[in-house]
Amino acid sequence: MLSLQHISKYYQTGGNKTFVLNDLSLDIDQGEFVSIMGPSGSGKSTLLNIIGMLDEPTDGYHYFMDEPVHQLKEKQRSALYKQYIGFVFQAYHLIDELTVYENIETPLIYQNIKGAERKALVADMLDRFNIVGKKDLFPAQLSGGQQQLVGIARALIGKPKLLLADEPTGNLNSKQGEDIMELFKKINKEDGVTIIQVTHSEKNAEYGSRIINLLDGRIESTTTL
Amino acid sequence: MIRNYFKTAWRNIRGNKFYTGINVIGLALALVISLFILLWVQDELSFNRFNTQAKNIYKVGVIGGTGPTKQVFSVVIAPVATYAKAELPEVKDAVRIMSIGGNTPFKYKGKVFTEDKVAFTDPSYFAIFGFNLISGDKRDPFPSDQSVVISRAVAERYFGSEDPLGKVVILGHDEPMKVTGVIDNAPANSTVKYDLLLPMSRFNRLAYTEGNVNYDGKTRLASMDADWSNFSFETYLHLKDGVNLNQVAKKLQAIHERNKPEDKPVPYVTQSLLLTHLYKIGESGGAIETVKTFSIVAVMILIIACINYINLSTARSMLRAREVSMRKIIGAGKAQLFIQFVVETALVFAIATIIAIGAMYVLLPFYNDFSGKVLTLSLSNYQIWLCIAATLLFTLAATSIYPALLLSSFEPLKALKGKIAGSLGNVAFRRVLVVVQFSVSVVLIVGTLIIGRQLNFIRNKNLGYDKENVFSFSMRTDMQKHYDAVKAELLKQPGVISVTRLGANIINNQGWTGDNDWEGKASTSNLLFRPVQVDETSMAFFKFPILEGKMFTGAVADSAHFIVNETAVKEMGLKNPIGKRMRLWKTNGTITGVVKDFHITSMHNKIEPVVFTYSPSNCWRVYVKTTGIQAHKAVEAATQQWKQYNGQIPFNYSFLDEAFNNLYDKEQRTSALFNLFSAVAIVLSCLGLLGLATYTAQVKTREIGIRKVLGASVTGVVQLLTREFMLLVGISLAIAIPIAWYAMNQWLADFAYRVTIGWQVFALAGVFAMLIAFITVSFQSVRAALANPIKSLRSE
Repeated sequence: MLSLQHISKYYQTGGNKTFVLNDLSLDIDQGEFVSIMGPSGSGKSTLLNIIGMLDEPTDGYHYFMDEPVHQLKEKQRSALYKQYIGFVFQAYHLIDELTVYENIETPLIYQNIKGAERKALVADMLDRFNIVGKKDLFPAQLSGGQQQLVGIARALIGKPKLLLADEPTGNLNSKQGEDIMELFKKINKEDGVTIIQVTHSEKNAEYGSRIINLLDGRIESTTTL
Repeated sequence: MIRNYFKTAWRNIRGNKFYTGINVIGLALALVISLFILLWVQDELSFNRFNTQAKNIYKVGVIGGTGPTKQVFSVVIAPVATYAKAELPEVKDAVRIMSIGGNTPFKYKGKVFTEDKVAFTDPSYFAIFGFNLISGDKRDPFPSDQSVVISRAVAERYFGSEDPLGKVVILGHDEPMKVTGVIDNAPANSTVKYDLLLPMSRFNRLAYTEGNVNYDGKTRLASMDADWSNFSFETYLHLKDGVNLNQVAKKLQAIHERNKPEDKPVPYVTQSLLLTHLYKIGESGGAIETVKTFSIVAVMILIIACINYINLSTARSMLRAREVSMRKIIGAGKAQLFIQFVVETALVFAIATIIAIGAMYVLLPFYNDFSGKVLTLSLSNYQIWLCIAATLLFTLAATSIYPALLLSSFEPLKALKGKIAGSLGNVAFRRVLVVVQFSVSVVLIVGTLIIGRQLNFIRNKNLGYDKENVFSFSMRTDMQKHYDAVKAELLKQPGVISVTRLGANIINNQGWTGDNDWEGKASTSNLLFRPVQVDETSMAFFKFPILEGKMFTGAVADSAHFIVNETAVKEMGLKNPIGKRMRLWKTNGTITGVVKDFHITSMHNKIEPVVFTYSPSNCWRVYVKTTGIQAHKAVEAATQQWKQYNGQIPFNYSFLDEAFNNLYDKEQRTSALFNLFSAVAIVLSCLGLLGLATYTAQVKTREIGIRKVLGASVTGVVQLLTREFMLLVGISLAIAIPIAWYAMNQWLADFAYRVTIGWQVFALAGVFAMLIAFITVSFQSVRAALANPIKSLRSE
């Protein structure tokens, strides 16, 4: 579903190039659950952002769903990621002014989905995540785990093919983290959503089917579980 | 979708009460002020537009005088209208109006009404000005010269619900006038509005057929149409479509010069009825200047308020960058975000508008009082709402587009990472906006100061004669005949120091004459004089300083003596004026005295040539000097005297000080308005500054915390935060001062006697602006500086 070939990302500082990603190639198939690990500054988040098309590589070829992303214009790219990709963040990034219900609903609004259909989809999602009772609360009234649950629900409401998670459990305690990982596993298995997560935790990484270790912008090792 | 926009917008507005408050108050205040101004402007521009044929109606003016006495007269001689209508193919119709002036008494069933809006006119008046008779004979509104046509208001006042037609009212003492027509009340925005109209034929009969108007002391003129000397008639021509106006003016001049060759050259001018309210005829300037100034001020105030909104919302956009990015990542398009922010602005705007319109309803009586208009905010007056809607739309567009564009164009990843703060390139833009705001405020402050100074200068200027504790009133014919008795009675009263009379209003003399000659007068000269008839006591009464020669003594020979002022001597080109031959009207005589220059019209005009003539029988205005403390007793005595000769006709008098101040009524209003405008501009600018300072303090919380941990003092931190703002205000001063200097010089140019603009005014305005900006900004800065750094450095 996704192929990165000879991807590099560097910054020109003075006469030197500082590489964040250095000639990295990676293929990911539909239905995989990939964990990306590595020390701080190894390029994990940049890699994830490039996959999510929020960032652009300096060099290299990027194919997603058979589309040459590196050749697409900004508008086409954003149309592509809006259709196929959902994002989950370490800091949840919920919109503070909106309730749980509205946060989950917002992506559907931007896709111009009719009110009745939106209602059904959101109700479904709330039900599935067991947060019906919280639907009228604002993010500030929820615990971190609950907020992340809402964040995932929001990412999934648009039925993405690929879910990108940047340290989704980074701000959670271990129990909450486990719950989220179980949920990821379930989504991956039952809905067939491809998941790529960045994580620091060995334990969380092992929920995935493949672990990619990055070091200094290169793939150091790959473990298939 | 739309509902969602509104919901989010509403929550954002409620969630930030401080910013919302600043925005709503600022916008509402600006809207109230500028809407009032724009409504006033709209009303000023609407004058005479109700008249559907106004574009073909022209007022006639004539240019008289040479050198410094060159004047455009908006009243002309009577034959112009008659000849134009008979001879010029361009002219469809013509009308003359001769206002009778204020305080004309009418009696009906023993009740006396004093009327201010009474005029003699031709029957064509009604058709030309669009005042069609609602009752009476349209084709013949004045069946006889005893006819009077009245307005509906007068009909109601005099006759109540009775049918006014055929009723007889008494004009003055004993002139019965029969009501032969009723017209609708003239709209408030008509320059021509009279309540009682008398036939011009009546004036002709009284003054000419039965009177004895003559200019050489012998030949009586048969009718007003043969009088080529009496410039007293406001004249309007109804022209055909597409007529060459210059041609018409030339032809009018030709008619005049053909019939009175000695007036050559006597150029005529025309002015569209649509312009008569705002422009002077044949000259530049007029009320249009005020209209322009006020329009600019209204727009400026709106701009300041818009800038506040833009500044605050773009500044705050940083705090919302995360939300916007998130929305983008989960699928928001640029257009959708744009609409969201426009809706947010529109909502703030709607609140401000509701408050503003509510406030306008409350303030309307004050506004009407202040502006002299009769504005009503009724729903039926669509022009008012059009004006309001246009203003709102303009302001909404100005305030919503830029912030919405800015917010919707964030790059999401950067914003999420918090990199947006440094990369927001609009910091410079915001600074520019603050500079614009303060420049406008400074210009208005300088304007206020200079207008105030000029008015003060006028008030305290020595007029060149003694006007302290003097009141005056006009005599009617009976009283004028018994002046000596009146004077004797008045002098007996306590509180009266002395009494005199003049044939002129000393405060604002409106009389001119060009019918003059003197030894060595150039043939090209057409010098106009302001004639003042006096008796033997007048010169001493007013303490006119005599420079050469002697005053009138009351001797018989004095009637052939003239006393002139310095300006007259200069303009006549005389070296040794005493003893020189001079003629005024039909009187041949000699110049026997020269007085020092004094002001006999408003300070707008240079001192003009004045000639005093000894002519007690032509003195119609009494001047009474009182002790001041007992002035009321003197007035009481004068009232008694008035009643004795004039019965029920009300007594009108005025103290010279008051009358003098009233000359500058317009300027005093302007001054009051400018005070208001600059106060509003300053408040608005400070609101904006307060918001920005608060925001800066918020954004710099971390920096301040770090600095304090490193040992910065409170003053150091305050300095850090205020320095930039003070610099901006400084730049504003540099921009505003030249603009203010230029603008105020333009305004002052309208006064022949004016203050000089010194640096002190600018220094004062500068210090004031700086001080106010500093107080506003430092309030927030001090708070930020006093905050505990542990709190501000705690990371999320």
